[in-house]
Amino acid sequence: MTTAAPHDVPHTVQAGTPDLAARFPGLVAPDERSGYSGWIVTADHLVQVATALRDEFGYDLLSSVTGVDYLPEGKMEVVYHAFKTTGGPGICFKVQTGRDDPQVPSLVSVYPGAELQEREAWDLLGIKFTGHPDLRRILMWEGFNGHPLRKDWQEPYYEDEAKPFKSRSPEGHVYRFEDRNPFGDNVRYPEDFDPEKWTPENPEDLLYKSLKTYQAESPDGIETDHIVVNMGPQHPSTHGVFRFVVALDGEKIVNLKPVMGYLHRNHEKIGERNTYLMNMPYTDRLDYLSPMSNNFAYALTVEKLMGITPPERAEYIRVIMAELTRIANHCMCIGSLLNDLGAFFTPMIYLLEERDLILDVFEATAGSRMMVNYFRFGGVARDIPEDALEKIKGLAFERLPRILDEMDRLMSENEILRARGIGQGVLTAEDAIRYSATGPLLRGSGVPYDIRRADPYSIYDRFEFDIPVGKNGDIYDRYIIRLEEMRQSVRIIQQALKQMPEGPVMVGKPQYQFRPPVGESYGRVEGPKGELGFYIVSNGKPTPWRYHVRAPSFINLTAFGPMCVGQKVADTVAILGSIDIVLGEVDR
Amino acid sequence: MNFWTDPVNVAAEWLKDVFIGWGMTDPYATALVYLLGAFLLVALVMLLDVFLVWVERKVVARFQDRIGPNRVGPFGLIQPFADIIKLIIKEDITPAGADKVVYNLAPVLSLASVLLLWAILPLSALVYGVDLNVAVLYLVAAGALGTLAVIMAGWSSNNKYALLGAFRTVAQMISFEIPMVVVLLIPTILTGSMSLKTIVERQDIWYVVLTPLGFVIFLISAIAELGRAPFDLNEAESEIVAGFHIEYSGMKFGLFYAGELLHAFTFGGFMAVLFFGGYRFFGLEQIHPLVAVLILMVKALLGYWVIMWIKYTVPRIRIDHMLALNWKFLTPLAFALLVVTAVMHRLLGGTQPWVYALGLFLSNVVLLLAALEILRASARRQRRQEEAVLSAVAETAGH
Repeated sequence: MTTAAPHDVPHTVQAGTPDLAARFPGLVAPDERSGYSGWIVTADHLVQVATALRDEFGYDLLSSVTGVDYLPEGKMEVVYHAFKTTGGPGICFKVQTGRDDPQVPSLVSVYPGAELQEREAWDLLGIKFTGHPDLRRILMWEGFNGHPLRKDWQEPYYEDEAKPFKSRSPEGHVYRFEDRNPFGDNVRYPEDFDPEKWTPENPEDLLYKSLKTYQAESPDGIETDHIVVNMGPQHPSTHGVFRFVVALDGEKIVNLKPVMGYLHRNHEKIGERNTYLMNMPYTDRLDYLSPMSNNFAYALTVEKLMGITPPERAEYIRVIMAELTRIANHCMCIGSLLNDLGAFFTPMIYLLEERDLILDVFEATAGSRMMVNYFRFGGVARDIPEDALEKIKGLAFERLPRILDEMDRLMSENEILRARGIGQGVLTAEDAIRYSATGPLLRGSGVPYDIRRADPYSIYDRFEFDIPVGKNGDIYDRYIIRLEEMRQSVRIIQQALKQMPEGPVMVGKPQYQFRPPVGESYGRVEGPKGELGFYIVSNGKPTPWRYHVRAPSFINLTAFGPMCVGQKVADTVAILGSIDIVLGEVDR
Repeated sequence: MNFWTDPVNVAAEWLKDVFIGWGMTDPYATALVYLLGAFLLVALVMLLDVFLVWVERKVVARFQDRIGPNRVGPFGLIQPFADIIKLIIKEDITPAGADKVVYNLAPVLSLASVLLLWAILPLSALVYGVDLNVAVLYLVAAGALGTLAVIMAGWSSNNKYALLGAFRTVAQMISFEIPMVVVLLIPTILTGSMSLKTIVERQDIWYVVLTPLGFVIFLISAIAELGRAPFDLNEAESEIVAGFHIEYSGMKFGLFYAGELLHAFTFGGFMAVLFFGGYRFFGLEQIHPLVAVLILMVKALLGYWVIMWIKYTVPRIRIDHMLALNWKFLTPLAFALLVVTAVMHRLLGGTQPWVYALGLFLSNVVLLLAALEILRASARRQRRQEEAVLSAVAETAGH
């Protein structure tokens, strides 16, 4: 945790990160804006610099790719955060381009994990990534007018740039802005646009065209037809409104394309209208199965920006809550994975019982079972009540260890689970890193990369715990790792309960309006699903200028297609289940 | 023959006399009595089916640490009727591109194929539909009709999921019928008859003792034939949504569902008849024919319970693993068992019953151990081959 506000520190090369300006004189310049850090790379040499970063400096995991629209400066900026899988702080590099026709070379050839993220940046900000193999819209629909995250894009019923909207406060007369409009709506079309004459490109055609890019193999010279099957958006095993299209040769998959955005609500645009604190409950809705982790990551990022540190007791409460969330999330994940494998709800319901007990604790502490809204900048909303603390102790010291052993006995040695899991949906360690996979997906492939250990945040450096890693990178390894991670979480909770001091849970007075200093900040935690990061740019106003979520289940889906090719239809759902996605986070 | 010792036949005779008294000729009266009998049997079986819905839901709830239906009627007993009412008032959908005749025929055929099986199930020594001398063949043939219904449903729905379900059904049902037929021949050899009633009457020692391996193979292939977990590939909820019956709604779906439950229970009954002495239980069946019926029902329920137990415990097997299990393990094992049983039966035919039983039992155990050893050896060989390939790859990569 940084103790000084970053904008006070003059720009120096951070210890442990390479001096890119010395390596690429003239091509790379340090970012010297106040409150910013990292490097600004010229667009033409981006691929060269990225390749060097990966190969020479060992930054092999491209964690986050996103864009920022600096409207007043008339610039677009693409921000990359790369990390080493061996641990340590990461490096941030940026590319700047004009706003009118922003073009940036694609990094998919260097880091394939950028594929979906670059598509997202194109979709929401209109930055064209030249050389991207499949640059289609991803969250909005094909034919959507404009790029909504641009600062000059205004939605229908646009009211104001930032909340609180005048129509709702301060008098509190809640009415819908559109009701005031005598014409019922205020939809404005761009000049020279006639909706009657406009026919968008058919997204389905584009999708199927990109699906047909596989090389048809026919070792015996027999040409067979392939069936195209749409799984989802309404499908019991996609865990929400996720859709993937598969080209099938019999039961074998020759190509797979994920389609998402059915639950898209432009979380980031809404986040940029909200004040900082208003976003806290809104992060609960991202990955609604692990709200505490989302709170954690967002609180860390804003605290980094403001340069405050929560008191000791609050840190311990945060860790306990985050680890309980991890257990609850893995319960859900293993349960639904077993369901996807065809177990008829029995393991699922056993595990849901444990999750319910954890949610009881959340309810007693935060007041809500799922939408907890519990963390605050500089602490947590309230202390854990005495009876909830007793419940946590009962869970951590008695119930959970016993139940986890019981589930292990019930499932792990099951012959069918082993046959369906071992050697299926293999993701090698190299591929996992290339596709920017994080969390259990990456560790299942044998890469011991856990942010709690690799780049410790909060007080995780005080606890003893192991990082379980898999061997083969298959479905079974991911399952076993989650089971083992739950045990490690229990260990952390046990230690935290023993060490937790008395004291306040909030630094200073609770406040509602925050004005962080100008600057940027990237905060990340090891969420149950992977690296959950927030990238926030502040311009000193009460609302963030840019609010970006690095959603682990969205980015882990990059590896989904490559993992499925060559497998059976029945395996796709199991592989998807082993990635563990939540659509609230994928679609945002 | 009086009403106490043989109620069903006495009632039938009396009814026939009544019809003849009304001026019918004998053949017509007999036909009418048979028709009424069949109707009564089907009605009772369907009533049983309604009860099974409750049993299934309640038992599953217990497996999963839940309470299960408990709102409608005492212990939720009326719940199935609420379900039926709901199914009946639901919209009855026929997809636009469906083959209407086949589409509507499939659920009827599915349930009918199960009901047909009840004709040959000997409920007691005196209560049975018909004592067919090729009952075992009939069992297989009527079962195949159910397969046909699934294929019809999958094909006519004009839906890719349904079609995938039908593909899987063809692969699965047809292959699992082979070990099943072979294993069915074992009680036939032991008894010397294909009549189920004779098979029950000859079971002084339950055949599950004489051929435990045969029973296990029958159980596995019966579950596959039923399409229940872990072999529920044709309707795999998490993969192809509902497979062959994805497009069916309302009572048409209800017929498939009822057919599935009843099928499982019926196979519980056949398991009891073929391997567990049917309606016989240490002489208790001689008290009254209805007691014998009760004994059979209890045994069938136990069989059904085992099938449910398996269904709600294990995950689903994948199609290639399933086919490998069938063709590479079950089928050869079933044939080997058939040969061994036939030889042992011939060799020990004239000896003491206990020698005969022990000989057959031990031959089963030896066969199972040998099969498992062969399996283990081949797995070891395969693993060694894979390791050799891997190390060769590593070596070439190293140089």
